[in-house]
Amino acid sequence: MALLLKTHFKLAKTAIKENRTRSFLTCLGIAIGVASIILILSLMGSISNLVKNEISEIGSDLIVVRPSSTKDSVTSIVEELTSSNTFQKSNLSLNDVSTISKLEDVAAVAPISISVNTVDSEKNNFTSVPILGTNEDFVKIEPVAFKFGSFINKNTGEKTVVLGSTLSLALFNTINSTVGKTVTIMGEKFMIIGVLDEIDKSINFDNIDFDNALIMDIESLDKLTGSTQIQQINIKANNTDSLSKVSTEIKDALIESKHGDENFTVSYGDDITHPASSLFTVVSGMLTAVATISLVVGGIGVMNIMLVSVAERNHEIGVRKAVGASSRNILMQFLFEALILSILGGIFGLVLGYILAFLISIITPFAPHISAEIVLITLATTFCVGIIFGIYPAIKAATKNPIESLKHYR
Amino acid sequence: MGENTIIELKGLTKRYGYGDTESFALKDFDLTIKRGEFIMIMGPSGCGKTTLLNIVGLLDRATKGEYILNGENVASISARRQAKLRAKKIGFIFQNFNLIEDLPILENVALPLVYTGYSKTARLKNASNALKRFHLQEREYYFPYQLSGGQQQRVAIARAIVSDPEIILADEPTGNLDSRASHIVMEELKAIHEEGNTIIMVTHNPALTVYATRVINMLDGHIDTDVKTVADANLPQPISVKIKKRKKPEIEIETPKSEERKKTKKRKKSRRKK
Repeated sequence: MALLLKTHFKLAKTAIKENRTRSFLTCLGIAIGVASIILILSLMGSISNLVKNEISEIGSDLIVVRPSSTKDSVTSIVEELTSSNTFQKSNLSLNDVSTISKLEDVAAVAPISISVNTVDSEKNNFTSVPILGTNEDFVKIEPVAFKFGSFINKNTGEKTVVLGSTLSLALFNTINSTVGKTVTIMGEKFMIIGVLDEIDKSINFDNIDFDNALIMDIESLDKLTGSTQIQQINIKANNTDSLSKVSTEIKDALIESKHGDENFTVSYGDDITHPASSLFTVVSGMLTAVATISLVVGGIGVMNIMLVSVAERNHEIGVRKAVGASSRNILMQFLFEALILSILGGIFGLVLGYILAFLISIITPFAPHISAEIVLITLATTFCVGIIFGIYPAIKAATKNPIESLKHYR
Repeated sequence: MGENTIIELKGLTKRYGYGDTESFALKDFDLTIKRGEFIMIMGPSGCGKTTLLNIVGLLDRATKGEYILNGENVASISARRQAKLRAKKIGFIFQNFNLIEDLPILENVALPLVYTGYSKTARLKNASNALKRFHLQEREYYFPYQLSGGQQQRVAIARAIVSDPEIILADEPTGNLDSRASHIVMEELKAIHEEGNTIIMVTHNPALTVYATRVINMLDGHIDTDVKTVADANLPQPISVKIKKRKKPEIEIETPKSEERKKTKKRKKSRRKK
């Protein structure tokens, strides 16, 4: 049997070599489908890696409270994405922040509130600058390095802000310290007391690009805009061993203060990454669907070529059967050919996908994320494609009547 | 049934079509073939000669009737084993040669061995020896279209005998050949027959009946005349011949499979040593 498999393999190889152009084009169909899937998987992997790395940097004592959608489904995510409000409608309030900070096991609580506004310096003005409203605990939870100055705290007063490095550069056209200068937001002047070091992590669990952001006290932001939405509350626990206990405590306290409304989620560890990539989940889900369609089209290409091959080699099938090939032998011969075509396409697509992912990594922060898992999934997928689209032509070949086939002499 | 009977057909019927279009290629056909017979089947076109050959060669199934091959009812043999039998016990020779155009003649000859579990080296060696017998060894890597009709038919005969079958079925093997090539082909068949093989051949050429031990004339799906020219006792028998052949190592085709495998293994080992 093993000998026969080897023979089938060799036969398939010869057949593929004989029709080089045809085989290459068929492989290309599969390769394009596979490459797009690889690209998407690689991007998804690198995104969740970015967030995971950040969390492991911050430490294992991080707990995050986020408002939860009433329906936690794809449709709700899509609704959020398509609504004019880019940021989630929140039902968390400053009240909740103080509720949590009263708990024993909590070391620091920082609300994260992001809004977008125009920021004006004397030299430049920028619309759509993300403004992060938080409190002094923020730096206790997330270690941020400062290029100049320091973070906001109770003593620095209301009208103080911290700039991201890129924003600072863009507003004042200088890489030198901008501490002490003022910016105008909605007609009010704010003094800059600190500039962050370059962070270069546009994707993180706070959903904010710190390099381009402006940070101010949440109460100042509240006064400025009139209504503040808290997207997230970051909590540092006292004790890393009992994260689950602390998170339960937080949950209970919040439910109590909110009179039984459980419209939020408390997460820690790897769970924190999930909402951050919810946007990517939807986008990549759609892209994967498109990629799958192209893979199916590629598979149909394989089937088409195999059908042509079966028709062309009708006579050969008849001869083989007459000299002792069983239907199964013929089936295997053609199935092998389809399998080799699609697996070749898969390998080709794997390489192509990674080259594309690498090219993308040059212009974006997404490092190509290549795991054995992805390679295995791809090969398994192409194997399945080969079987699914190869079985029908193979069966067609195997069930041919040898007498009829022998009559079709070329 | 005699001990020496290889094929027994009882009331074989092959019907094509139904109702108004119904026609019979074979009708209640009875035939007993002994080992070592060289049967020529003659008759007008459409009298069921080819159908008979296809059924005997396990390529087709009779509508009705029994076919007993080597004491075994074919109806009870699975399709897979029938394929195995085609590869091992039955050799086909066709009027239009039916070689695979994309394969060199060596691989064409080796084709039946692919389905009987020979390693590639053993296959090609046996095929090469079979070709040697038909003086085509120096053209092993030619493709069928590069050979003349007579040469192609000799390749086809080499393919038919490469797995050392008991029965050789020839469907007008000389039909596409000129008289000289026909003569060579018939001499080859005669030689094969003398080694004890059973040959069933369909032909339109009455001159060729001199080679046969039995001539059957068919008409409308049944036997018209059946003449034996050689007594059953005088038929060449394969068993004795086979024993003789084993003593002659130069005829590789006849070497049993296991020995052949050992030989190839040894060869591989010696190569590694080098």
